[in-house]
Amino acid sequence: MKAMILLGCPEAPAQTPLAVYASYKLNQMGYETTIVSNPAAGKLLDVCDPEHVYIKNREDIDRTLEDLEEGDYDLLLGLVHKDAAATFFVTYYHILQTKAIALIFSRDGAEVEEFVDMVASSTDAEIVAAKAYHNPTPIRVKLDKALKNFEIEE
Amino acid sequence: MSFCLETYLQQSDDYKVLAKNSGVKECYKIIETESDELIHVNPGDKILGARLIGLPPIPVGINEAEGTILITYTKPCHGTAAIELPVEKEELISIRKMDIGA
Repeated sequence: MKAMILLGCPEAPAQTPLAVYASYKLNQMGYETTIVSNPAAGKLLDVCDPEHVYIKNREDIDRTLEDLEEGDYDLLLGLVHKDAAATFFVTYYHILQTKAIALIFSRDGAEVEEFVDMVASSTDAEIVAAKAYHNPTPIRVKLDKALKNFEIEE
Repeated sequence: MSFCLETYLQQSDDYKVLAKNSGVKECYKIIETESDELIHVNPGDKILGARLIGLPPIPVGINEAEGTILITYTKPCHGTAAIELPVEKEELISIRKMDIGA
């Protein structure tokens, strides 16, 4: 079973630790996990995990989009903290047509509501949302709960 | 037709940027206002060989007299832009066929 973690712009401090943590959790659940991001977000990941202990595969967001087909992944997990990240998540969701989780966070509660509305009105993804920016804990706690619904069945 | 939108935008100067560093919904409004004709496509559908990124239904504007189309262009760190770029007449025929009728 293959999982994709889709990242947005790396300017939100909570994004990189959440990406590493989500990759660790999905690997433990038995998924073959790939993180898809722009080059800036990818370089942050490379520095965090130089020996690829947690991040097994990493791909470029534009190149992946170009060749992506329905069914390429069994789970899409997107980190959504900007308008552009919501649009990328919705687009990847519509191409893959697979199970999906949107991790929506921002320092601004109104933005969280706006991004939840964008994702909920365009996908059937499970939405995990919290007001968070520097501190990833509020969204991490909710992610742990949500992932229980995506265990790989034997 | 093989077409890289990013390369085109970097190497050409015959397109107009109607909005940049914006939100996707604001860009949709601009496309709706500035276009003589509108079609709609799904996220990930390819226009001129490039996948469109956005919320469904994604508007694509057509200004036949100018020979241009209006589309959105999104990058993770720069938000969404609305751009108007020239296309061949034959391309307009295939673009119109992509309309999902939203």
